[in-house]
Amino acid sequence: MAVATCSRTLEQEYGIPTAPVSTLEFAAVLADDRRFHGVPLRFTYTPHPVAGMTAAVLRKYIEGTDPASHRSVTDEIIEALTKPLGEDERADTYVPVTRTGVRQALLEPDTEDNLQRLFYERGWTDGLPIILPTEERVGHMLTGTTHAPDEVVGEIYLHDTREHLKFTVEMVAIVGVMAGARPEHLPVLLAVASTGQPSIPGSTTPFATMLLVNGPIRNEIEMNSGIGAFSPRALANSVIGRAWTLLSINWGYFRLRKQFWTSQGNPIGYNNMCVAENEERSPWEPFHAQKGYEAHESAVSLFRGWNFINNVVGSSRRSIGEDMFTQLRPLPGLFSAATLILDPLVARHLKHDEGFQTKLDFCRWLSLNFKMPAGEFWDNDLIDMLMGPVAIQGVEPYATWKKLPKDALIAPYDKPENMNIVVVGGETSPMWKVSDFSHTVSASVDKWRAKPLADGCADGSCGLPDEPSNGAH
Amino acid sequence: MATQVTSAVLNPEGYRTITPDGAPPGRGASSGMAPRLDTLKGKTVYLVDTGFGGSGKFLDEMQSWFQEHMPAVKTVRRRKPGNVFRDDTKDLWLEIEEHGDAAILGVAG
Repeated sequence: MAVATCSRTLEQEYGIPTAPVSTLEFAAVLADDRRFHGVPLRFTYTPHPVAGMTAAVLRKYIEGTDPASHRSVTDEIIEALTKPLGEDERADTYVPVTRTGVRQALLEPDTEDNLQRLFYERGWTDGLPIILPTEERVGHMLTGTTHAPDEVVGEIYLHDTREHLKFTVEMVAIVGVMAGARPEHLPVLLAVASTGQPSIPGSTTPFATMLLVNGPIRNEIEMNSGIGAFSPRALANSVIGRAWTLLSINWGYFRLRKQFWTSQGNPIGYNNMCVAENEERSPWEPFHAQKGYEAHESAVSLFRGWNFINNVVGSSRRSIGEDMFTQLRPLPGLFSAATLILDPLVARHLKHDEGFQTKLDFCRWLSLNFKMPAGEFWDNDLIDMLMGPVAIQGVEPYATWKKLPKDALIAPYDKPENMNIVVVGGETSPMWKVSDFSHTVSASVDKWRAKPLADGCADGSCGLPDEPSNGAH
Repeated sequence: MATQVTSAVLNPEGYRTITPDGAPPGRGASSGMAPRLDTLKGKTVYLVDTGFGGSGKFLDEMQSWFQEHMPAVKTVRRRKPGNVFRDDTKDLWLEIEEHGDAAILGVAG
């Protein structure tokens, strides 16, 4: 869209004729863009993709034909700049908007098999069977909050239709039922929904997300923050993570080539790495407290990125920090974005044996000590795409890094405050995960609770499984 | 046994804004397109890489093509500074306004 936006600016504000170029893949999006803005930009299309192609291939594109019009690409570009505007290029006529397709409150009664099929065929599911949202089930789900069913929780923006769509408590409750959630999970779902953030953003890249829960609610709803916390085992982790995907689907984010573009997808999307922080075994303040919440409050935090790399057996031949360098190196280091998931064994070692008193202390150490050649940094296409133009703009230290010899070493994580640490794990092995995920937002869970936090849960202990006795199997 | 269920949430496929003729809404006013050039001969055309992968290489090849096939056209290669997803520069547009006659921008996708 940036090509269209910039072209419009040059045409309309600077009087410069433009010849915008796009790959064919985005022709439909650009047609929507034209309808919305009413500016008949003269796009020329090339085959898709341009990214990753050799100079020879790109030369063939230029000397070949536009796959949409079957005309010479260069002829079209020259015409775009020189041919007078025709009658058919005048502004689109404004057409009043009407709303149609008002949703029924209830679907017609049918068999379970038929309704499961209906939900799937209408694109309302993730492909797996759902729990059918009957009135009774939705009513029961709504007991999980004191908020009115018709209260607006938030709104989302659809780029293809330029619509802001509002959604209510009841809508979130319906999705909760579909995902298999229980009423006690609803405040967490409402907190996630209130952010308006989809679990899969509209991008051709394999974006993935992580959903972190902090505070007493974790234990009240029996979330797993210990052994196998990221594995498909605990009901709360599974259904809350799935509900975020179903929310995103029903917000319209999975409509192919309208909002959903990810070429290969990402399996993380099935559950969105829904997990709780193991606050009881962490030596540091919980993540939500770092974001301004009180430790006794409950909150969700959302993260977004592409890659997770596991350390598998700890590190006995070098320090944990030095071992992390090998995992950080293949990641893009985009504006210092990184999220480290540490087993409590690792976190406590870092604090008690290596002296990192806070999470930020360790991030600062990584920031100062991890280095890589400037050439390797800039040769990453994602870095070039997103940080290259910022360097051109003169923003430091990127502008200086851009001028360095390829073999000069830089410390690419220059903003340790953009690095996150979350403590998760069951202490069976001193391992960790390193990712390029960034924290996007945190939101209150307590705002959506059905009742005030009971005194007995103030320390988050309720819902914890009993300590195993000796000889427990 | 027949079951009746609450209609699903919000999915905009079933609940969306459409116009009476079935088309998505348009908001056009005037086209606002700039006047076209009589010819490119002797003119300066800016080749602006908006930053997506491969765009720079594509426009390098485009510049070579102009040099080989239309040497009377002066081309200037630039990369748009700032955020790759936004129109957040003025300096480059002012440069094109002052020194250029036309611009080729790409490549979306």
